[in-house]
Amino acid sequence: MSRLYDSRTTIFSPEGRLYQVEYAMEAIGHAGTCLGIIAEDGVLLAAERRNVHKLLDEGYFSDKIYKLHDNMACSVAGITSDANVLTNELRLIAQRYSLQYQEPIPCEQLVSWLCDIKQAYTQYGGLRPFGVSILYMGWDKHYGFQLYQSDPSGNYGGWKATCIGNNSSAAISMLKQEYKSEGVKLAEAMKLAVKVLSKSLDITKLTHEKVELATLTRDGNSCKITIMTATDVQKLIDEYEADEAKASAEKKEKEKASKS
Amino acid sequence: MSIMSYNGGDVIAMMGKNCVAIACDRRFGIQAQTVSTDFDKIFEMGPKLFVGLPGLATDTQTVAQRLKFRLNLYTLRENRAMKPKTFMSVVSNLLYEKRFGPYFIEPVVAGLDPKTNEPFICSLDLIGCPMVTDDFVVSGTASEQMYGMCESLWQPDLGPDDLFETISQALMNAVDRDAVSGWSAKDYVIEADKVTIKTLKARMD
Repeated sequence: MSRLYDSRTTIFSPEGRLYQVEYAMEAIGHAGTCLGIIAEDGVLLAAERRNVHKLLDEGYFSDKIYKLHDNMACSVAGITSDANVLTNELRLIAQRYSLQYQEPIPCEQLVSWLCDIKQAYTQYGGLRPFGVSILYMGWDKHYGFQLYQSDPSGNYGGWKATCIGNNSSAAISMLKQEYKSEGVKLAEAMKLAVKVLSKSLDITKLTHEKVELATLTRDGNSCKITIMTATDVQKLIDEYEADEAKASAEKKEKEKASKS
Repeated sequence: MSIMSYNGGDVIAMMGKNCVAIACDRRFGIQAQTVSTDFDKIFEMGPKLFVGLPGLATDTQTVAQRLKFRLNLYTLRENRAMKPKTFMSVVSNLLYEKRFGPYFIEPVVAGLDPKTNEPFICSLDLIGCPMVTDDFVVSGTASEQMYGMCESLWQPDLGPDDLFETISQALMNAVDRDAVSGWSAKDYVIEADKVTIKTLKARMD
């Protein structure tokens, strides 16, 4: 019966749901994981890179993380072609604001503007919604470091730490337990990101090819957006695995001691 | 009254050996009245790319802002720095779009290729006709004077220090012979590893 209410985005179902929007969110639930964490001195975005095929000719250097403006970057999960259209639009919005006001666009305004565009696709035109969820990281002089998440419905929220894509609920519950909002520096947040990713991704071993990590920090009077190099990412992964090995070795020792 | 001499101002760019220099005067006036003495007409578009926009002051500001808009989007999309020659085409396109109601500026572009560090200078007219040279380009209310100075002083393959001297002398002496230019000058010498910016105080009138 609900099938009758699916095919058009611009109508409600009898239970008051917008099926097309929900199906879009389903599509994202199967896409590569992205997570974001705010620290005292910066924000980071980490993303699972799914397109690792031997035959792929790696022309570009970032699969999932895009710089939007001097003070903002984003990571996407969902249909890549939809994501390309949206990131292009985000860049244009940021530049137009910059041209008109001669200052960088405040983070929430950029998110809000794009979300208004996304919302239009759920109400007018008979076009399907964008199958992309976006995590935005940025800095502005009003609210400092910020992290936002937007989804196909056009809703957005500000977060201290969040995750989208495959296994995002597992990642979020882990973040809920382990994230401390006070006194966390970026280095610690990066360790946490690697930990959460390795536990929630569907792969056995985490390598630098499968992960993209980007950070946003303030350097004096300007923002610095760094996409971490493969060697640095691998170093973080190795550190994490060393810590894990140490922790499990200590646990074994304790068990042995308690048994005997 | 010519609209191109309403505010006054000049820019020179010169080619050196593995370097380029670009210099401008700093006067902003409304006909005879000088309003400000720190109005620079040179804008940084990239770490080794500069554009000088002499002419009507309001258009100087607007064109600089609109060029930055286009350059920023290019950098974000292509993930690389724009070459000076490409930038010249961007300026030309922006100006020709207003063919029948133009911006009253005659730009000068100077820079080094982001990868090869090859030097590049060019100038354009107010509707975007580009002209690439391998010696010097001048633009502004004292252009005739600047042409004379550059033609006499410029030599090929000048090093950064000699180029700085040459461009400074050429600009200073040319603007001294022009009522609506002057009030100190700003020089940018662009080399592969650094950009040296010097402000020259000469006849403050």
